[in-house]
Amino acid sequence: VAGVLDGIKVVELGLFAVGPWASKHLGAMGADVIKVESPDGEPSHMIPPYIHGTAALYISANLNKRHIVLDLKDDADRETALKLIDDADVFIENMRPGAVARLGLGYEVVSARNPRIVFASASAYGSTGPMSTYAGADPFVQAFCGWCSTTGAPGTEGELLRYMAHLDLTTGSVLTEAVLLALVARGRTGLGQRVEVDMLTAGLTIQTTRLAEYFMTGVQPAPAGSAATTTAPNQAFACSDGRYVAVGVETDERWQALCLALGIGDVADDARFVKNESRVANRAELIAILEPVFRAKPATWWTQTLTDHRVPNSRILETDWIRMHPQVTANELLVEVDTPHWGRIVVDGPPWRFGGTPLAPQHAGGLKGEHTTDVLGERVPAHAAVTS
Amino acid sequence: MTGPLEGIHVLDLSQGLAGPFAAMRLGDAGADVIKVEPRSGDVSRTWRGSAETATESSAYLSVNRSKRGVSVDAGGDRGRDIVRKLIAWADVVIEDWGPGQADRVGLSYDTVSKNHEGLVWCAVSPFGEAGPMKDLPGTELVVQAMSDYMNSLGEIGEPPIRIGSDIANLNTGIFAVQAIAAALVRKSISGQGQRLAVNMLATMTHMRGLMWTCMSHPDEWYGLFNDHFTRAPDYGYKVENGRVFWGLRRGNSEDWDRLMIELDMLDHMHDPRFAGYGREATSIGRYAPEVKPLWEEAFHKKEMTREAVIELVLSAKGDAVPWCDFDTLMEQPHVHERHLVTTIEHPSAGTYRALSPSWTFFDTPAVVQSPPPELGQHTDEVLAELGLAAELVRSLHETGVVS
Repeated sequence: VAGVLDGIKVVELGLFAVGPWASKHLGAMGADVIKVESPDGEPSHMIPPYIHGTAALYISANLNKRHIVLDLKDDADRETALKLIDDADVFIENMRPGAVARLGLGYEVVSARNPRIVFASASAYGSTGPMSTYAGADPFVQAFCGWCSTTGAPGTEGELLRYMAHLDLTTGSVLTEAVLLALVARGRTGLGQRVEVDMLTAGLTIQTTRLAEYFMTGVQPAPAGSAATTTAPNQAFACSDGRYVAVGVETDERWQALCLALGIGDVADDARFVKNESRVANRAELIAILEPVFRAKPATWWTQTLTDHRVPNSRILETDWIRMHPQVTANELLVEVDTPHWGRIVVDGPPWRFGGTPLAPQHAGGLKGEHTTDVLGERVPAHAAVTS
Repeated sequence: MTGPLEGIHVLDLSQGLAGPFAAMRLGDAGADVIKVEPRSGDVSRTWRGSAETATESSAYLSVNRSKRGVSVDAGGDRGRDIVRKLIAWADVVIEDWGPGQADRVGLSYDTVSKNHEGLVWCAVSPFGEAGPMKDLPGTELVVQAMSDYMNSLGEIGEPPIRIGSDIANLNTGIFAVQAIAAALVRKSISGQGQRLAVNMLATMTHMRGLMWTCMSHPDEWYGLFNDHFTRAPDYGYKVENGRVFWGLRRGNSEDWDRLMIELDMLDHMHDPRFAGYGREATSIGRYAPEVKPLWEEAFHKKEMTREAVIELVLSAKGDAVPWCDFDTLMEQPHVHERHLVTTIEHPSAGTYRALSPSWTFFDTPAVVQSPPPELGQHTDEVLAELGLAAELVRSLHETGVVS
């Protein structure tokens, strides 16, 4: 089984989630990915929880790869790393800015030997500017980039997303994007190039719409519970059984459908609510009308009725439920993978489908250095001869 | 044009946020992007916050730069012929009509790729192309509610909280760009295009994947990605003039002693929750929530500002940042030096601020290519490029097929 990136070779010197997640994507697309670690291992090995003694973060972020160990402070091993990269299409690293160059694997060195290399770096705050030397981690970038300031209960100053990975994985995703775009450019120019992304910029990127509201008005979009800023009604409503239903009305047609579903046809053509712009302007009055209607019946009634009227809706699904949800199983969004070291584990399915070059099933990577002998024997026979 | 996608033609047949965001990113990356809107305009043009006064909505402006715009009524045969001509022009098509809808109007991938085998077609949907919800409309909030994100915000038993940002949409746009770029890499080798699909629910379960693996028979429950359900909301650390977020990961005993002396907190030196030089007592550490009031009290007694706390923590080899709202963020020297924000001049909305492109390509730079189009701004220009005679274009206008 091939995959869309069949034949593309990737060498990754990644730490924690960002760099590894990018090469995990490329591996899922069929690239041949080699993860290089120092003899001590990368720091994600230290992050709990563990599965059979291996950090689950390490397992999750390093699917679809082969794992080797090289001591990059040792001349022979560094030369081996360079030989691996000579033969590669993509090199990914997310050490602090400048660190990879100090190891003798900087862009100038690498590209002089392999001008076709796409040399991709990710950092916390970018390679220039007063914060370029800061170590970054997901919650710090969350706090800094403004992301928390639009999330939370009304009246608060915003809260952290306690799943401390969304900005890490977004940065990894933007890194994958950059690598693939540079590979497209290489198809035209014949040359690789250096590309950089950073967590701060990625964190701003996925706030594009909220920041645009701020840029256009000068007004901070405040934490608003479950409510959207520029459409209404677009929030969760409490039902008679104490459960909540998330309801999203983003067009005037859906507003009409919602009123039918709720049995409040007389409100549908009320001039205060007939257009989205007026519903947003008169949001408080609008919600005051809708809340008692939702509170009169249980969530089950509303999800059925709203779905019958094609009004976007869902309960707030409980975690355990999600794996069994028919929409999740039908699209194989969460899948179980048999692994050599950790039993059968749940992993995320790939976020894309390729009609012409179907993806191979994902596979567990391995333990630190598990494939060193195999990979070096195959790619750098001279090294294997020296060390065996 | 400049950028890695120079020479690539993209047809954006999508509305709202996810598809248009993907097409905009391809435009920033140098592709020639044409956006097709119905005569009534992209629905996002109606998404306006109550403080918005510009001629165009912030939502529309934020995801549609670096494109040209045409307005076509694709419901009739003549309009659909124009869309067919645009598909023939395109290397890449992005649509979000819903599973099976393209087939229904005779524009299925199989049909349009017959004489256009290099075509890359990317379908964007809320819930994917299989399953009981595939034909239902979806929204940002609904997908957040289905993908577990709301379970790590707010408090158990209190009203649900959403992520303020539109991540189900925008992260999907990023995945669409990945899929399209990967397909273009393939095409440059094989000459073959293909049909791609992304969806918002898959995006969010994928982004949540780290948690799913962490919950998969862990040796012990405790850990960074497992305890978020039961923790209280984290609002950072309150100080005199705002909030900060900070933590200790690298300091040695000397750094730790100095920090505790500076803060008059020596009483706590033997508290086991502060062991390991405070690593578990700060940031997202295991005991951070319960000892947070002790730190805040110490900052308060010393009348420390945000800046003073950050300086002290950095001097102890910790990490510290201001807890930023958008005003605070825009005041940060780092944001200015990195040119993270640029300005765009729009013919009717005026000059406004916008984010710079997300990536730095050192040889083929990505840039904002052009302001977001007004409705139908490039209709005539594009129809002329497609080879339609001026006479015909006039008739299309008169009959309401284009505008």
